[in-house]
Amino acid sequence: MKITIGRHYPVESPIHRLDARVKIVGVFLYVTAIFIAKGAAEYAVAAIFTFIVIYMTNVPVKMFLSGFKNLAVIIFFTAILNIFFSNEGNVIWKAGILKITDMGIVTAIRLTVRLLLLVIGSSVLTLTTSPMELTYGLESLLKPLKKVGVPVHEIAMMISIAIRFIPTLTEELEKIKKAQSARGVDFESGNFMQRAKNFIPLLVPLFISSFRRADELAMAMESRGYRGDEGRTRMKKYLLNVQDKRAGIIMVVFLVIIILMRILI
Amino acid sequence: MCFIDGKNLCYKYGVYGDEKSTNALNDINIKINRGEFVAVLGHNGSGKSTLAKTFNALIIPEGDLVINGLDAEKEENIWEIRKSVGMVFQNPDNQIIASVVEEDAAFGPENLGVKPEEIVKRVEFALENVGMTEYRLSEPSHLSGGQKQRIAIAGILAMMPECIVLDEPTAMLDPIGRREVMQTIEKLKREKNITVVLITHFMDEAAKAERLIVMNEGKIAEDGKPKDVFADVRKMKELRLDVPYMTEIAYELKNCGFNIKEDISECGEMAEELLKIGFKEKFVFEKEKKEKVRDEVILKTENLSYIYEENSVFEKKALDNINIEIRKGEFIGLIGHTGSGKSTLTQIMNGLIKPSSGRVLFKGRDISDDKKIRMKIGLIFQYPEYQLFEINVFDEVAFALKNMGADEEEIKERVKEALAAVDMGEEYYEKSPFGLSGGEKRRVAIASILVMQPEILILDEPTAGLDPKTRDDIMKNIVKMKNEMGMTVVMVSHSMEDIAEIADRVIVMKNGKTAYDGEKEDIFGDNEKMKNMGLDIPKCAMLAEILRNKGIDVPKEVFTVKNTIKFLKGALVK
Repeated sequence: MKITIGRHYPVESPIHRLDARVKIVGVFLYVTAIFIAKGAAEYAVAAIFTFIVIYMTNVPVKMFLSGFKNLAVIIFFTAILNIFFSNEGNVIWKAGILKITDMGIVTAIRLTVRLLLLVIGSSVLTLTTSPMELTYGLESLLKPLKKVGVPVHEIAMMISIAIRFIPTLTEELEKIKKAQSARGVDFESGNFMQRAKNFIPLLVPLFISSFRRADELAMAMESRGYRGDEGRTRMKKYLLNVQDKRAGIIMVVFLVIIILMRILI
Repeated sequence: MCFIDGKNLCYKYGVYGDEKSTNALNDINIKINRGEFVAVLGHNGSGKSTLAKTFNALIIPEGDLVINGLDAEKEENIWEIRKSVGMVFQNPDNQIIASVVEEDAAFGPENLGVKPEEIVKRVEFALENVGMTEYRLSEPSHLSGGQKQRIAIAGILAMMPECIVLDEPTAMLDPIGRREVMQTIEKLKREKNITVVLITHFMDEAAKAERLIVMNEGKIAEDGKPKDVFADVRKMKELRLDVPYMTEIAYELKNCGFNIKEDISECGEMAEELLKIGFKEKFVFEKEKKEKVRDEVILKTENLSYIYEENSVFEKKALDNINIEIRKGEFIGLIGHTGSGKSTLTQIMNGLIKPSSGRVLFKGRDISDDKKIRMKIGLIFQYPEYQLFEINVFDEVAFALKNMGADEEEIKERVKEALAAVDMGEEYYEKSPFGLSGGEKRRVAIASILVMQPEILILDEPTAGLDPKTRDDIMKNIVKMKNEMGMTVVMVSHSMEDIAEIADRVIVMKNGKTAYDGEKEDIFGDNEKMKNMGLDIPKCAMLAEILRNKGIDVPKEVFTVKNTIKFLKGALVK
């Protein structure tokens, strides 16, 4: 089983080339804008903007929707709740405590659109930015905290190694599970206690192997000259170029437009 | 000239509990010249990995060690040494740091504080030299083992080292991956004149080096040209090592009084020597009598198909209409490339995964009907020692029986039997499985399946990653199970030589289909067929083909070391 972690989708695109910091800040601005938006006009502008960005990422739309799939249930239920239990507006249909109001429908639609835009919009960040760049972006943005003693580089390194090993360990767990099944462990049935007990033959080998991996990885890192932050450079120069600045300005303008629309319309 | 210069090197690992600590390095004197290609052989625990780690200053030994003119003992030199000596480890997964190939290659130079523009150039250079440029944006977890190891080499190359030390880089790879890595190493040596120290368990890889060092008990036991070192076959066997097949044949012939060079390692050379000695006009080759396999079909697959992740983007047909019959007492060799569907097939045979269509019958009964039947089909995974978890060997082996609900007496009896089958006596019962050697761990893992008293044993690469002596021991255990316990065995292996030696019947998988199913003589005796299926031809079969082309009537059974020696003894002019 191949798992794409962080669902990073590595292709060439203007969005992929953007600096991770710009994208992180950009997503913040975007999310703020979506929360500020209220009327149909604002959402229309936001939606158009979102789809232009998605088009620019060169990532198949399918990938964006798959991220949305997991949240579909939540979005569906919030929509239902809003439709049937809204108290405002003119009643259109009524049965017992259930009633549908025009405002209810509007709220439901607004909420659905808002969640959709939020999920799809923030997917742009994870799909176009490698976990390494993402952690570097965070590291760089959080750098001021280093002055007060927060080990920003170490935390970022730990996160990126964790991300790197998720698929490896998932695969390993799958293997161990099969191996123990071949020794007669039944993972499918049994009561709660039985199932809890069955975790031991899974977790002990997984822990032991993780320790071994950690040990070997530490050695490999050391042999490749790793000694923390000290004297370290980066392959990718994280200087903001014209494109990055332009993207930043576009995001600010987007937020301002939404705010103005909210106030003026 | 001298790149690594070590005098009186000693090293001892810390003492754990009551374990006696021995010298991992015991007064070693070693000199390695700039641009040399040195292979290091030795059984597990001989100290070769420890020695390798000293070259990279990961371990600082006692004694005088100078690397690239730098004293390894001085702490300020450590980073300079790591810059000039790069190290590649055994497990490809445990040395890749980044989630994108090019970022991983950049990790080393980034640590060295190289300027960004320069890193970009170096990464490009490194990936090009290992042939991985097109994967520069890929995720390492989506690559094959051989590709991952090449990435690891690229990560070292980007540091522009003068020497690369590789610690069993091919041990966990399939034949294709192994070839990729070896070709990369040889190319680097040839084109960049990098000093290479290659630690390996594979004799054919060691034979490619310019110089061969053999380690034993923390000391250097042999040091010389590979040909010369291997020629001393008796000594090598004493050191628990193998020699290349051709060297072994030459040794045996010499012992029988034939006048033949001892330092032969290649097939072509061997054929020339043999033709020089000359073949008799007429000779007899007595075929080995085959034990008659009973007709009783024990396991049968009917129109078996399996589709991975059906109805998704990753959909892939892993098995396509497989019909196999396995008879009682047979030893079947299951071969094919990684991804050919053989692992999937073994897991379906054991009922671990359900086929998309078709069924598996054990003695005529569908195995999906009853869990008890599935217990009769034992499956031992690759690297089974990774499943160990109990506090002692006894409990580890008893685990399966406890799951089956056996009573105390029965458990005792059967655990004893199972451990005896892998040559482990009572002295092991109380030991922790984690304190055992690699080979012992594997034997415990095999016993933990045997204890269920399966009627068929399916083994997936039972000897992967072991040293030659341990490899032989495990193979002997398996053959014993077949002969003495009457076990039906299905063995998945990448080693054509092993399969050729011990299997009765061979099944070749290719792209999810059975590409061949029949007597081993009909496939190993036919190199054309082997090539068409993309399989490695055993060395002895290669020799037989060269001789056939020279007009010698070599019987088709001659493709194992045993039969080759037997044939040559009868056919050569004394």
